Amino acid sequence: MTASRTTDAPRPSYAAAAIAGALVLVLYLLTLAPTTAMWDTSEYITAAYTLGIPHPPGNPLFVLLGRVATLLPLGSVAVRVNLLAALCSAGTAAVWFLVAERVLSHWFTQRWTRLTGAAVAALLSATAFTVWNQSVVNEKVYTVSLAFFAVVSWLTVLWCDDPDGRRADRLLVLIAYLIGLGYANHPAGFLVGPAVAVAVLARRPRTVLRWRLILAAVLALGLGLTPFAVEPIRAAHHPALNEGEPTGCTTSIGVKCTFSATTVSRLMDNINRVQYAKPSLSERQAPLSAQAGMWWLYFKWQWLRDAHGGQAGPQLALALLFFALGVAGGVVHWRHDRASFWFFGPLIFTVTVALVYYMNFKYGASQSPELTGVPREVRDRDYFYLWSYSAWSVWAALGLAALWRSLAVREHREGAGHWLSTAPILLLGIFPLVGNWRDASRAGETTTREWAHDLLDSVEPYGILITLGDNDTFPLWYAQEVEGVRPDVTVAVTSLLNTDWYPRSLQRRPIVPYDPARGPAVYRARSWPRPTTPIFSLSTAQLDSVPEYVDLREPQLFQQGTLRAVVDPRRLEYGVPVRSDLLVLQLLKDNYGVRPFYIARTTGGYVQALGLEPYALMQGLVNKILTAPAPSTPDTVAVAGLGHVDIGRSLDLWRSYGGPASIIARGDWVDRPSVNIPATYIGTALILGQVLEQTGDSARAEGLRRVAVGMAQATRTLELFMGSAPPPPSAATGGDAPRSTPIPRSP
Amino acid sequence: MPTRAQLIRWGAAIALLAGYIDLVAGGLTLAPVLLVGAYFVLVPAALLAR
Repeated sequence: MTASRTTDAPRPSYAAAAIAGALVLVLYLLTLAPTTAMWDTSEYITAAYTLGIPHPPGNPLFVLLGRVATLLPLGSVAVRVNLLAALCSAGTAAVWFLVAERVLSHWFTQRWTRLTGAAVAALLSATAFTVWNQSVVNEKVYTVSLAFFAVVSWLTVLWCDDPDGRRADRLLVLIAYLIGLGYANHPAGFLVGPAVAVAVLARRPRTVLRWRLILAAVLALGLGLTPFAVEPIRAAHHPALNEGEPTGCTTSIGVKCTFSATTVSRLMDNINRVQYAKPSLSERQAPLSAQAGMWWLYFKWQWLRDAHGGQAGPQLALALLFFALGVAGGVVHWRHDRASFWFFGPLIFTVTVALVYYMNFKYGASQSPELTGVPREVRDRDYFYLWSYSAWSVWAALGLAALWRSLAVREHREGAGHWLSTAPILLLGIFPLVGNWRDASRAGETTTREWAHDLLDSVEPYGILITLGDNDTFPLWYAQEVEGVRPDVTVAVTSLLNTDWYPRSLQRRPIVPYDPARGPAVYRARSWPRPTTPIFSLSTAQLDSVPEYVDLREPQLFQQGTLRAVVDPRRLEYGVPVRSDLLVLQLLKDNYGVRPFYIARTTGGYVQALGLEPYALMQGLVNKILTAPAPSTPDTVAVAGLGHVDIGRSLDLWRSYGGPASIIARGDWVDRPSVNIPATYIGTALILGQVLEQTGDSARAEGLRRVAVGMAQATRTLELFMGSAPPPPSAATGGDAPRSTPIPRSP
Repeated sequence: MPTRAQLIRWGAAIALLAGYIDLVAGGLTLAPVLLVGAYFVLVPAALLAR
């Protein structure tokens, strides 16, 4: 069978698409984040800057691309990587412009009408909330992935136009290569694969019998996957960020250790994301209806984000409108351009129905808040549907263009005047631009960077800081490795201490000299001797042999010098001491009297769970663990339910913090799952205010309370702090905690 | 004389090889530039070249 040739379509308007992409880029530049942000942003900037390995699957292509972006002589390192996201998404908008124009060319006879419809596709796809919000800060690798998705889509549309043309086979081989290359950025690179296969089978089924072409495509796909070789090579150099440590080389790179079973096993574990131990698809993490409901919840966000729920009615109306326009777009696509529909239709199916089923999410963080006790994702996962909403925008634009045409040509009066007079209907496409601007924009957002500096500066030179998860850890990595802020501090995050590679990574970390000139003034009064001992007294083999957990369910005494803590497993997260708890206690033991030891106040009740409360002294955003019970003095005051507060140090630190002013200046906090970060500042200010009140310093107490209220109003968290008791320690959201072995819950 | 297509293929191969050699040697600048250039420009051009 020979497919009909449809290359009588006009030449694609590449220049117009480039202009559309450039305009989208201007929009993104206007709303671009000036620095890092919460969640994985800091991890990926750090990985790019150090040519390191971020969390599995390691995203080697992104790391290469990001590293090249950091070499650009434009702004800060963070801005350069954020620009990469903006450029990828602007490019995606330009490609969607071409796709929409191509489809419209089959029944829109006037070029300007096609270009107008294509421009609507570019606009909608660029301003859908998740696309926009992810394009103005490089939080993930998904904008690069989206660009691959769009480019492969465009090439497949071109192939569908003329599957027997002289360049058709080369296009297929290139498509296969780009799918492989896209996978080396993120597994989402394979999302287009099923749709490409359907298009090939529908348009030129005899392709499957052409073994030379199939072989060439498979080889090209394999070539596209070769960036994964970057992982073991870089891992053997032990960069600052070496997640999963996919190498068998322990000291330096070598042929034998690189081509070893250990390297292969660790690399495959990374690529297959074994450390997250995702359940099988048959084991649903939430009812399928709830998982579809999550897609719909985030679909509603795309056209009007409405972060604080004040416009539920208009949001629903717009969602229904754009859903209907998308369906209509699909119908007209089927009717007028069957050739490319064979690709785009299955593509939409893949990134909606199939993706919802495959992702198998728990309830969304913001979904059905009335349901208590159901397992939830730690944060909103709208970004996993980036491709879905981006591609849907193309169909919504086709639907809108079809609506425009039906108004313009009614009663067979198709003249330029009718098209112009009915063009205002296209203004519907501007709603997401206007409605999402405030919530999608990251312009002026500096809180994460300030937070990282403030948290690190709360720790004395050469101190160890125990943290909980993404938001109290990744920004610190960024500050240390990219900005060179307080690299003397050892940050140990409990969620990663459960892995085998992270303790080894901590063990390898060099002891960087403390630079008083870059540290806060509060530490300049004395000298700080540089420790000479490694952070763990254990050998690598001993570290590796620390068990996943110890089945102890009764309180245990931990003793080191004058420190005696009763660890109560019932207060620990898993009801038994797990590897991270054991290693935290090991760090405490090995560094007793050698390095200052801190637990971030974002860890919630971890100090209490380890029985360290009598030894804890609050200093700003952290709790310092003393070697003897904290004394009650005029400067270290006991606060009921909290332990002791170091007033002088905390106030000195507070004066140096940049976070509070940044939070108030921003005036909003859209991402609710990370709101515990500003809440930590607010709690600190209220505690200090309460302590100052106790000591009779009402004026300063009132000043602190005013700042706390200002932050609470800006982040809409006032209700959390309305009680008279001091606020409880707030736990930072952990993120995707690695867990390879099931740990028994306390009976 | 080698054809344009042959030149592009050789260019892609050399850029990939040189990039990985520099990466093995610990290179942080030339290696990513060569590899990105190869993967994003030269290899696609080589696959399309006739």
